Parts: sequence; structure tokens; C-alpha cells
Amino acid sequence: MTTFHLILKEIKQRKLNFLLSLLAVITAVVLFVSFFTTGQASKDETIRLMRDIGFNLRIIPKKTDMEKFWKLGYSEHTMPESYVYDLASQEGLSYAHLTAILQDKILWQGREVFLTGIAPEISPPGKKKSPMGFSIQQGTVYIGFELAQNMRLKNGDKINIFGKPFTIAHSLSESGSEDDIRIYVHLLDAQLLLNKQNKINEIKALQCLCLVDNKNINSLALLRKQLAKVLPDAKVILIQSIAEARENQRLMAEKYFGFIIPFVIAVCMAWIGILALMNVRERRQEIGIMRALGFGSGKIAFLFLGKAVTIGLMGAAFGFVFGTGLALKFGPGVFKVTANMITPKIELLYWALAASPVICALSFFIPAMIAVTQDPAHILREE
Amino acid sequence: MVLLENVNKIYRTKQGDIKALDKVSLHIKEGEFIVIRGPSGSGKTTLLLSIGGMLRPTEGQVIAGKRDIYRMSKKERAEFRAKNIGFVFQLFHLVPYLNIIENVLLPAGVGKVQIRSVDAEKLLKRLNLTDRMYHKPFELSAGEKQRTAIARAMLKNPRIILADEPTGNLDPENSEEIISRLAEFRHSGGTVIVVTHGKAVNQYADRIIYLEKGHIEKFSVSN
Repeated sequence: MTTFHLILKEIKQRKLNFLLSLLAVITAVVLFVSFFTTGQASKDETIRLMRDIGFNLRIIPKKTDMEKFWKLGYSEHTMPESYVYDLASQEGLSYAHLTAILQDKILWQGREVFLTGIAPEISPPGKKKSPMGFSIQQGTVYIGFELAQNMRLKNGDKINIFGKPFTIAHSLSESGSEDDIRIYVHLLDAQLLLNKQNKINEIKALQCLCLVDNKNINSLALLRKQLAKVLPDAKVILIQSIAEARENQRLMAEKYFGFIIPFVIAVCMAWIGILALMNVRERRQEIGIMRALGFGSGKIAFLFLGKAVTIGLMGAAFGFVFGTGLALKFGPGVFKVTANMITPKIELLYWALAASPVICALSFFIPAMIAVTQDPAHILREE
Repeated sequence: MVLLENVNKIYRTKQGDIKALDKVSLHIKEGEFIVIRGPSGSGKTTLLLSIGGMLRPTEGQVIAGKRDIYRMSKKERAEFRAKNIGFVFQLFHLVPYLNIIENVLLPAGVGKVQIRSVDAEKLLKRLNLTDRMYHKPFELSAGEKQRTAIARAMLKNPRIILADEPTGNLDPENSEEIISRLAEFRHSGGTVIVVTHGKAVNQYADRIIYLEKGHIEKFSVSN
């Protein structure tokens, strides 16, 4: 009769204790597996949602008068369009989604409107991302809500700006900002209409927080340092509220991940440890007689640690199945944007199979030592 | 075979020290059947456990085969017990989740002696437990449980069986049966040391030892 045979027989005898211990492991593994199965989707969804709040970096010509800039909403000065390509060609930059913009206030149809030319987004090397802003075709416009309402314009209508015909590709919904009196066109069209070929007056970008992991680094200082090297004639403005909101959201999600799993593991370890202690107390006489029959300390310890490993392995397997099932069933409902990223992750099973037996063995360690060190003579004299 | 020299055992408790054995010296010869008697608290079980390598004396030596067993390492002492000693207790101490044959085979898991399940089956047959072989302990009568415990103690053919009140929970008929099994073991060459209050055992005893307050009051040699 092997020790493993003894372990299995004991498990069969004391099912409740075993099942409660198994439940603790399954709970921890379910949380671990479901969190990490949906974790990437959650992170990406956070990034996407926060990204959709808007760009948080504005790179403008250095000689811009900031008082006028804030009053007008754009720089009166221009810089070469090539700046955006120079910027995009740099490696190790902490910003992405670079968009070259040329904008001005124009008089159109008796109205003062903003004309904004937007180039397709470009990304620095190795940071290719799906575009987060408009992607406007040449010869088409996106028209602000207020303008479309007042002039009764709708998608597909033809309009004329400074003698050049355009088709309305999209009339925008109400934004509650000056964007409601804005006409978006392709950058090339804007340069033509404003007679500012190869010129832009702003590069909008999104600070890539992932590259600024060290919380001690002043991200704005880093950005300015990076920019000074590449574009000495430009300066950067960080829209703090959006940047901080993004950063805080990301940090909160990371803190939550960092706290909840160790907490659950600690609670489950305590739970398993208490059940193991109860098991040791219940088996005192059995341990006593085994010692009398010549079972050594190692063998007695192995009876308990072997049981812990068995519980850990079973808990890992069941926990992976349940955790993955939960993630697949409920994850897509929670993370609608990134639902397709929620797939079974077999590497989590390997992690669970490796970690759960170790964690269970650690939980069983003190009870196993109590079992080993208790005096069998004392137990056997108790009768 | 086993020699106890000036064995003292003191239990240290919060309420003060309790002297369980007081300068006990005893020579146990091979093939002897020894009965230990004495009032409750006189040190009978302590003596038995000390002989069995389970309870280290405070002073004195327990020598078996020219070696003081308490000078052995824990591992050596466990091996010594596994090879030489069989224990039988009043409360049987059968493992509740193992069936009868598995309980008997439990000592097979330790030591170097190879034991086959057929050896356990033979033992159980000798002790009239063949039809109980696959039962759990809770399904057995007290007498059957004690016979199982004896089979477990005999499995590895030890040199000594130490029995602590083996008939304490049994009716006279079953008590007689158990004692006769122990006597059979002695006749096959083994040594038996029994702590008991029962009189039925006297007929088999080579020596009866009376313990009083931890020391040997008198020896009585049986006919």
C-alpha cells in the first residue's frame, strides 16, 4: 500500500474537509483564470475607452503666442508638414497616433467657421495602432452639428468652399464645443483652400503611457526633452486633465489586479490551513499509531503535503475549467469592445498547475509540521 | 533481549512534576510472556511505551541488542520499531478509512521487510477474520477489531508484542480469545509484554510485575 493510496483513501473518508479545501483552491484559481483570461481584454478596453476621450498632446510652432493660441484655439503660425514625418520616424518616443493638422477660421456662407484639415494618422515605428481620429477622404467633409442644423445639410449633400466642391461624408453629432461650427477636410484640401501648401499648424498626439512606467519620471518633461531633439522649432502642450484621467484609470486597473488576487490567495491559504489543522487534530490517533508502527517524520509529513499537492492539482484543473467558462460566458458582456480577445488561455492552466500545489503545500506546511512534531506517546497514553 | 537500567520518567506539567517511572530496572528475555499490573497512574503504559521506543526516559537506559534505543536517531528508532515491535492498544487504533486487510498491511509501508498481501490474508485466516477482510473497522465487533490489531502487530513477525490493556474493552469470551492469540505468538518464539487488569492472562504469564507509583513493587513468577 503506497502513501498515495493512503492519501486517496483518507480523502475518500473525509470528503467534507477535502471538498472545502478543494473549493478554496478552485475559488482562487477561478478568480486568477477569469481575471487573466479577461485581463487583456479589460486593459485594452480601458485603453480604447480612454483613448476615445481624445488626444492629449498638442505640438505647435514654438513661436506661437500662447495667449492668442488659447483665445483662437489654434496657432497663427505654421510649421512644415514634414515635422510630423520627422517625428514619426523617431524610435523610443513616448507618444503615438500622430496627426498633422492645419486649421484656421474662415468666412463661409456668411458664417465664421473653423476649417480644419486633418492628415491620416501615422505612428512611430513599432507602434502601429488603429486610428483614433477621423480618416477623411480628399473631396469630402465632416461637418459640425450646428452648421449642419442651421444650413439643413445632411450626408451626401454637395457643398462648395472657396469655389472647390465637396461632398458631406458625415454630419457630426452634437459635441457641445466649437467643433459644432467646424468643417473637417483632408489636410491636402485645407492646405489648398488656405493656400498653405506643405504647412501645418499643429500635430495632435496621444501620450503613450505604456512607455512611461516609471512613476517618478515627469512625463511632460520627458516629452519636451524628446521633442526638443527632433523638432527644435516646436513645443508641446500636455492636456493634463485627459492625460491624468487616462493614467489614473490605468493605474487603478493595475492596482486592482495587483491587490485582489494576492488577497484572495491569502484568504484561501488561511482557509486551507485551518481545514488542514482540523484534519491533523482529527487524525491524531492515526498519526500516533503510524508512528508506533515505525512511520518516520518524512512519511507522516508526506501524507499531509501529498494531500495538499493532490488538492492543488485538482483545484487547478477544475478552477481553470470553471474560470475559463466564466470568462467566456460573462466576459464578452462586460468587455464589449474587446470581446473577441477573450479566449481560453492554456498557459494559465500551466501556471495554475504549477502554483496551486505549491500554495496548498505552503498552507499545509504548519499543520504538517504539527502532525510531525506531536508526541505519539502522549496521544497513545490519552486512551 | 531488552534491558532497562534505572529508568526514570518525569512528566513536567504546569501543576508540577509527576514521576511516572522511578528507577525501574528490568531484564526481559526472549520468548517471555510478561504481565504488568498496577493501579491506575502507576506507570504501566509509560513503561510499555518506553520499552517500545516511543517515550524517552528522563534518565536511565533501554538497551535492545546491545544498543540504547534512545541513543539511536529518530529514523533508526522508527526502523527499530518497524522491525522489532508490534503494538496492541485498548482502543485498537485501526485506521478508519482502511478496510481490515489494508489496516493489517499498514506496517508493510515502512521498513525493508517485504510483505505480501497473501501474508496478511493468512494471518486474518488464522484469526478467523477472512470474511471481514474487506470490511471497514466500524463494521466490526470489538473482538474482531482487537484481533485485527493483533494481526497488524504480528504482520512483520516482530520480536516483541507490547499490548496495553488489549482486553480492556472486550467481554470475557473475546478477552480469552485475544490472550490466547498472544500466547500463540509467544509459543512461536516471540516475546509478549501485556499491561492488563484481567486475571485470564495469568495462566500464560512467565512473570507478573506489579508497579506502584512508578517503581516495581514485586515480581511474581507464574507456574
